[in-house]
Amino acid sequence: MAVKKKFPYRAAFVGCNGGCRVTADSGCEYGCTGCGACVQACPFGAISINEIGVAQVKEETCIACGKCTRVCPKQLIRIHDCANYIVVACSNQEKGAAARKVCEVSCIGCGICEKTCTAGAIKVKDHCAVIDESICLSCGMCAVKCPRHAILDLRGIYTKRY
Amino acid sequence: MATFSVNGKVVTAGRNQKLLRFLRDELELYSVKDGCSEGACGACTVLIDGEVCKACVPDTDSLEGRHIITVEGLSDWEEKVFTYAYGEAGAVQCGFCIPGMVLCTKALLDKNPDPNEEEIRYALRNNYCRCTGYIKIIAAVKLAAKIMREGVIPEDSETDWKLGSRVHRLDVDEKVLGTGKYPDDFVMEGMCYGSAVRSKYPRARVRSIDTSAARALPGVVAVVTAEDIPGENKIGHLKHDQYTLIPVGGLVHYLGDAVALVAAEDRETLEKAKKLVKVDYEVLPAVHNIQEAAAPDAPLVFDEETSNVQAYKHVHRGDAEGAIRKAPHVISHHFETPWTEHAFLEPECAVAFIDEDGDVMIRSTDQSSHTTLHECSLMLGTKKVKVENALVGGGFGGKEDMSVQHHAALLAYVTRRPVKVKLSRAESLLVHPKRHHFVMDFTMGCDNDGKILGVKAKVASDTGAFASLGGPVLERACTHAAGPYAYENFEIEGTAYYTNNPPAGAFRGFGVTQTCFATETLLNMMADEIGITPWEIRYRNAIRPWGVLPNGQIVDDSTGLVETLEAVKEDYEAALAAGKPVGIACAMKNAGVGVGIPDTGRVKLIIEDDEKLHIYTGASCIGQGLGTVLVQMVVTCTNLKREDIVYERSNTWIAPDSGDTSGSRQTLVTGEACCRACEKLMEDLKEGVALRDLTGREYYGEYLAKTDPLGANVPNPVSHVAYGYATQMCVLDPKTGKIDTIVAAHDVGKAVNPLSCEGQIEGGVVMSMGYALRERYPIDENCRPIDKYGSLGLFRAHEVPKIKAIVVDKPGLKVAHGAIGIGEITSIPTAPAITDAYFRLDGVRRYSLPISGTPYERKD
Repeated sequence: MAVKKKFPYRAAFVGCNGGCRVTADSGCEYGCTGCGACVQACPFGAISINEIGVAQVKEETCIACGKCTRVCPKQLIRIHDCANYIVVACSNQEKGAAARKVCEVSCIGCGICEKTCTAGAIKVKDHCAVIDESICLSCGMCAVKCPRHAILDLRGIYTKRY
Repeated sequence: MATFSVNGKVVTAGRNQKLLRFLRDELELYSVKDGCSEGACGACTVLIDGEVCKACVPDTDSLEGRHIITVEGLSDWEEKVFTYAYGEAGAVQCGFCIPGMVLCTKALLDKNPDPNEEEIRYALRNNYCRCTGYIKIIAAVKLAAKIMREGVIPEDSETDWKLGSRVHRLDVDEKVLGTGKYPDDFVMEGMCYGSAVRSKYPRARVRSIDTSAARALPGVVAVVTAEDIPGENKIGHLKHDQYTLIPVGGLVHYLGDAVALVAAEDRETLEKAKKLVKVDYEVLPAVHNIQEAAAPDAPLVFDEETSNVQAYKHVHRGDAEGAIRKAPHVISHHFETPWTEHAFLEPECAVAFIDEDGDVMIRSTDQSSHTTLHECSLMLGTKKVKVENALVGGGFGGKEDMSVQHHAALLAYVTRRPVKVKLSRAESLLVHPKRHHFVMDFTMGCDNDGKILGVKAKVASDTGAFASLGGPVLERACTHAAGPYAYENFEIEGTAYYTNNPPAGAFRGFGVTQTCFATETLLNMMADEIGITPWEIRYRNAIRPWGVLPNGQIVDDSTGLVETLEAVKEDYEAALAAGKPVGIACAMKNAGVGVGIPDTGRVKLIIEDDEKLHIYTGASCIGQGLGTVLVQMVVTCTNLKREDIVYERSNTWIAPDSGDTSGSRQTLVTGEACCRACEKLMEDLKEGVALRDLTGREYYGEYLAKTDPLGANVPNPVSHVAYGYATQMCVLDPKTGKIDTIVAAHDVGKAVNPLSCEGQIEGGVVMSMGYALRERYPIDENCRPIDKYGSLGLFRAHEVPKIKAIVVDKPGLKVAHGAIGIGEITSIPTAPAITDAYFRLDGVRRYSLPISGTPYERKD
């Protein structure tokens, strides 16, 4: 469904990379379970469950109405600026060791991104990296340096979607 | 190992490395500029599979099968379109960001042939430009889009190169296409890489230096310490207090002080070797700020000094105290302004080698090749030195001092090999002198009509670890603190203190950016107290032709402050009528060094074997467009055409010394010297004589901008040969609290190239929006600057408001066809105008920069 959008474009983003392949016993308390509530809630058909069982947003179709952010039981969908294509695809707030155990691409809060960032735009909060999109320069240095591949380039240049 | 295509050619990167290094070092694609190597600046932007990417980010191993485009890979049509559009729009200044901007343009237009303004701003927003304020780059993208859609490149809108014409700058092609060379783009046979081992502590005594492990490392060419300096260790712009290398037993003054230099065959070995130089320090307590420096028992920053006072100025005329005592309205306040980093896009770099005459030849990026010559000659103890400027990727005052030139020269002298010394961005932020942090106390007295009766002030600045231009900056801060107003009673006392912070020196505005904030803010407060508008109080006090400035100088016919006030009047009243918060401020700025210091412009015109006239002058073009100015001067003063004239980059063996690019002086001072050389040429180039008949001849022009020293015993001293005047106003959007428009009216005498003038205004305004609203340069307890390039708070393309640049021509100056430099004044009144606009919005007066409580404020 074609939807007219106002520039600068915004869209929903699912803060989970699906590294656990959404198995029931993966143990990640914070990740997407593929429940489909967001898919149901989206009036524009902009969200689907991808091949590894994680919700994924089609940015061209999403108008950032925010319905999905409200229905997600894990509260891991947020609205972001499409121009900021570097994103943290993890919402795990457990300490490093625990986060590492449940997923192969989880953020463990190691802080390498924070040290790398020239703009001071990425900070580890509650053991998980968060990007301040208002100051991020979208250079992707954090994505390239992240040892866990938890930071993605949505354009698929610096990183591939897991 | 990975195989991918670059500009349509399949290449293999054997060793894994950053794409930037592979493109520059192995493929020799020098349009891809290395501005920071940390993902911030955008000068290394390339396209990967059509997407904008900074080449310093990805490793080559991650690029298997990708398609990469650099500016060298543009089609002929694209080259023509972008060169035309960037030239026509006036989007090119120093040029260092331009190849990156061009690729952002291409990426956008390939996907969206008809972008609106906001889409263009977003396409440029991850790339910094420090010269243009983005306005003309945005216009260039718009124009390029139109040409791409229509398929026809129009004629240049102006082709007559006479004064007043908006011609394309002469360096557009080389800067758009990335063929112009900055020092880092020179690679020589047998070249090695040099770098400095810098102090671990801001204040410490060097007990010993052990270089043996570094020397033993394979690939190390030389390790040099103070003992190896053949001439004077201490150099400096005016005062010789900048150590080339700190000797054993010597005191370290800040973290940027070099203790040893290393030269190595490659960059990796260089970094390893630097870590192997063992320095033993006796760590001493540091001086962190003005208060500590001024304390009676303060540790001394310099062994050689008896106090930490670097400079003291007392400027007075009339009886300020008496006038204030009698004034019916008196306002006093304390003001503070921050350190500011120039953040030019090109980090400091120099390549030095021994030339065929056996001289040390330095290719550098600086604001005067002759100053570099003097300082390096002093250090090497020989006159056998030559300097040539490469392109300069922005300066703004930050490239007036020796940063890498002397180190490259010393290493070349010792090793007898070509040596490149380039600062990393972190080093650049630490090493070159910044804008001074000032603390100021001002008192102003006015009568009931708002006429200023007297101003008295006391200011202090932190000039950091060596003098640089701390004295002259303090002096200019003091002399211009009075503002562009006609009153008689003025007194100011200023002190600059050494500390163990990074040095402070010249920065666009040269001290006036600081004191103007205080004076103009007081004037705005005074207008409210009297009950007239801030515009009106300025109009009543404005200096007019043949009036007397508070420094005693009688100003001439070119004085155009009133015209700049009138130029903004309509916009000002419209904003007031619409109920929009609007702030206003004025400024004056000298063109030329002034105050009795010898200030000479020199130009040599030579007709060479190509039967063209070559312009040689030691004046540096640091991005402002001096070459274009001089060619327009020659076309105006002679019967020659643009194509008969070649502008040569500054050097020290043909081009005569024309002083530093500083004090907004080149257009006026070197411009007049150029006119004088043209006069001599025209005596020979009479009717019937063609330029080729004069092949081999030289025509020399010289102009001394003669002024009186401060405190000269004359009733009306001429402090400066000319002043530029400006009024800027800031209109806020009351809904968002953001800046809607800045109107900037500047009296430039005669605009040589109005397009370039507008570019200077827009760039200066945006630079000072940063100074007013967001830019910081925090220094930690170890006297180390904390921020990286990307966190300085520089404005980005999508954040810049509308800027209405008004160029006011006002004849009257008898030299240089009336042209007065505009480089610095563009940055001076912006901060007080913005600050007053925010007061009109929320009723909060702000006395320190960057101001708080705005949507632009950084939260962390």
